[in-house]
Amino acid sequence: MILVTKDDFDTPAVVQGVRARTAGQAGALVTFTGYVRDYASDTGTRSLFLDYYPGMCENELQAIADQAAARWNVQDAAIVHRAGELALGEQIVLVVVASAHRGDAFAACEFIMDALKTRAPFWKRETLADGSSFWVEARESDLARTRRWDEDGQP
Amino acid sequence: MTDAVITILYFARIAELTGVRNECVPADGITSGHTLLHALKTRHPALAGVKNLRLAINQTHAPAGAAIAPGDEVAVFEPVTGG
Repeated sequence: MILVTKDDFDTPAVVQGVRARTAGQAGALVTFTGYVRDYASDTGTRSLFLDYYPGMCENELQAIADQAAARWNVQDAAIVHRAGELALGEQIVLVVVASAHRGDAFAACEFIMDALKTRAPFWKRETLADGSSFWVEARESDLARTRRWDEDGQP
Repeated sequence: MTDAVITILYFARIAELTGVRNECVPADGITSGHTLLHALKTRHPALAGVKNLRLAINQTHAPAGAAIAPGDEVAVFEPVTGG
């Protein structure tokens, strides 16, 4: 299940959906939730705005989920990503992976998050407590994490 | 001719620099990401100083060397920062 939404999402409902679709099959279910945190070191974060590419976002998230399913035992996966205005502390992203065993569930969930960070077309603009705002720059460390999945299959 | 154009989409900081979120540019002379970016930097001088311009052609990430044809939808953006 892939969803890009401007509204907050109901994590228990998404998890329940994955459970329902894998009834009796999945021995392990891993969830990852990302929240709006304070990015800047000195002046506090007030809010985030997420620009996004409708259509390509959903396609790219589906492609990432498909790659995870081709590589690990994934019985069902859900990826939910917010767009638009978000306040400090709000949920940005949710990944749920159900597998036969925990190893596959953990690996697939981490792979999906790493791939999402470098491939899904979202861009964060942070607004600080003093009203100033800036576009967040991509981190080399995120790219490096994604590359390591290509090289040796490890995060 | 309506098909002799390329549809360009700009996102995030790049949309702020160009002042538009989308536009159509004549396809004449544009055959690749390289030739497109060259044309766009002439059209929008503010783009000339941007180091990391990335492209998606028809909603798929593409290197600057990728081929571009009339009718394509090309997105221009900086490295993504979701998650």
